[in-house]
Amino acid sequence: MVGTASELLEVTILSIYVSGMATILGSAIGIPLGALIGLKEFGGKGAVKTITYTLYGFPPVLSGLFIYYIFSRAGPLGEFGILFTPTAMILAETLLVIPLVTGITITSVVEVDKAIKDTVKALGATPKQSVLTVMREAWVGLVMACMVGFGRVIAEVGAAYLVGGNIDGKTRVLTTAIMLETRMGHFEWAMALGAVLLTVALVVFFFLRMLQEKEML
Amino acid sequence: MMVAAVIAAALIVGGTVGYLLLKEDEPQTLKLATTTSTYDSGLLDYILPVFEEEHDCTVDVIAVGSGAAITLGQNGDVDVLLVHSPAAEITFVEAGYGESRSLVMYNNFVIVGPTEDPIDTMSSANASQAFQKIYDNGTAGNATFISRADASGTYTKELSIWATLGYNKTEVMAFPDSWYIQSGQGMGAVLDMAEEMDAYTLSDDATYYQRVSEDLIPNLNMTYSGDSALFNQYSVIPVNATMWTHVNHTLAMEFKNWLVSDDGQDLIASYERYDMQLFFPNAEGYVPSTESLPSIQTFGAVCATVPAVRTGR
Amino acid sequence: MTDAISLKGVSKRYKDVDALKKVSLTVTEGEVFGIVGPSGAGKSTMLRIMDLIEPPTEGELFIRGERMAFSGRKADLARRAIGMVLQKPVVLNRSVANNLAYALMIRGWDEEKAAEKVYAELKRLGLHGRRRKNARILSGGEMQRLCFARATIHDPGILLLDEFAANLDPANVALLEEQVKDYMAQDRARTAVIVTHNMFQARRMCDRVALMWDGEMVEVAGRTDFFESPKDQRTAAFVKGESVY
Repeated sequence: MVGTASELLEVTILSIYVSGMATILGSAIGIPLGALIGLKEFGGKGAVKTITYTLYGFPPVLSGLFIYYIFSRAGPLGEFGILFTPTAMILAETLLVIPLVTGITITSVVEVDKAIKDTVKALGATPKQSVLTVMREAWVGLVMACMVGFGRVIAEVGAAYLVGGNIDGKTRVLTTAIMLETRMGHFEWAMALGAVLLTVALVVFFFLRMLQEKEML
Repeated sequence: MMVAAVIAAALIVGGTVGYLLLKEDEPQTLKLATTTSTYDSGLLDYILPVFEEEHDCTVDVIAVGSGAAITLGQNGDVDVLLVHSPAAEITFVEAGYGESRSLVMYNNFVIVGPTEDPIDTMSSANASQAFQKIYDNGTAGNATFISRADASGTYTKELSIWATLGYNKTEVMAFPDSWYIQSGQGMGAVLDMAEEMDAYTLSDDATYYQRVSEDLIPNLNMTYSGDSALFNQYSVIPVNATMWTHVNHTLAMEFKNWLVSDDGQDLIASYERYDMQLFFPNAEGYVPSTESLPSIQTFGAVCATVPAVRTGR
Repeated sequence: MTDAISLKGVSKRYKDVDALKKVSLTVTEGEVFGIVGPSGAGKSTMLRIMDLIEPPTEGELFIRGERMAFSGRKADLARRAIGMVLQKPVVLNRSVANNLAYALMIRGWDEEKAAEKVYAELKRLGLHGRRRKNARILSGGEMQRLCFARATIHDPGILLLDEFAANLDPANVALLEEQVKDYMAQDRARTAVIVTHNMFQARRMCDRVALMWDGEMVEVAGRTDFFESPKDQRTAAFVKGESVY
């Protein structure tokens, strides 16, 4: 039960670690994936985009269940013993980040002016160079994608609880702590935890915004 | 972008590997699955540090619903269970998932309802009669009952009482929702609902007391208790080590043995919250060091004091 | 004389619009070839095909006698030997210097050598003082001159200009035309194709002119003939400024 300052610090740091890593990992996959989907022509492109956007609504607890089934001892990858560790939480949250980052990246690169895409091609860029240059032009959108991804996972509780187990000192994060306190009727303390969570988000988004608005040279 | 991906991958892999390696060096860990009501009572925060100290280990407590705890045990995701759902536990052991099931302690379920107890469950001779009154008044439109309607031990207990009146589970689930509400929620939430709706419900005493002590349910009172049918029996079940060879079987057995040992049992009995003893140790062969009377006495004392806490009702 | 560019029976169809209808033409090495005509005639489309940016629906493109594919390594290399400037100045979201250096960097030039060339060019353009600023701060004319410099910094043998001075004031138009002339003068083998709707510019700059109308090449003639004794009545109307655009 959260009550001391050091416990509060513990859950806060773990929240940042788990959601931060999930955002980094999810963006590392989602941004290149989104750029490729947005810029390359291929059969079934429309269907892929629709599926990506549909996955925005993927319930976090379902992601948790999926990871549970894979990493449970009864499951295929059970022998790694990842269940009830922050790693499992990161994996479950990464699954939630990927569709969001991919989808927003798709939109961002598609929105880059066609004239820029043509100019880049005309200047002699290979297809790979073109994609990278367009991605750089879509910088604002790409940072936005990461922001939205982080926002989703710092706030989710279903997956974190299911694959983490809310173990005191090991896998308890702000959202699962809030759920615990709410369950026990400590509504005020739960709200206080919520305020801490929003503060964390505020700080992170502040830095991301600075990143987004930096002058490109 | 590639750089970021590589760094992220390296961090994850490094973190996982580091974690797995560190796991060996760390003091041993015992994964315990229990129910949310057990965890929320604070008992484990009280007794586990003693066990951890004596056995130089850490106990990771995963508190989920009763059904989920048993599923975790079946899947070998935990080393030991501490639950209070005897029928499900027996099935669990017979199916081969658990071994050395041992009784540990009990507390009680109580019937909770509006403070004035308009349908007079208090004068019932036993729990079945109280439920009969609830049924009669419910169908007549004078009372509401809120059920857990999930996989919890509380719900299992509720069904067993309905069974004494001749209603099986299917029939109970078909009770009209004009008076019988199947909430699917946890105990705390159900009490909150009963508070809002002036309804009756069956609750474990620990959650009830927790709600009372924090003045969250001023409209409710414990209206019937004491029938041995309302015993809430807790047992500890190590997960079958032959089926799941990776479980920390030694530590799980040590934990079980400690819980049923005189030391463990005395410690459980000494846990006080809301100025009262919440759990009554009843492991086989345990003789309480002090004369501990059936819990009905403690309840009686509470029945006397709690109304005094309430003012203006 | 070699053919720098040759189109044979090139058509381009977009959904249900025929932008180009079996066009064949040849641009000789060393010449400045003008393409004029009303909007929607297919001029830009033709340029995009010449630059290997967009494949034709049918027909073939030859660059220096070699048949061109529109994707793949060979196409990438061929495109690198061509420079194109669009009507709207398009700068990348980076500094003036980095914009200019882009074509060199993607070709793997040594950074120092690239910097040398870029700075020299910036000085010629009068943009050296603002080289570190984001290119968006430039005025329209400055941007377009930058775009021209960017498209030619790697010394392409073929220059494709699509209404490159259309949005500029006369002073900047003159500056840009000067830039083109200078570029062409440096090497007699350099070829340019200029799409313009400005008759006077066509007359000023081009050796030969073609009129495109509704996806078809209507008339091709040397400068004098085109403007003074056009054969087709549409050419005559265009030259007089009578066409409906």
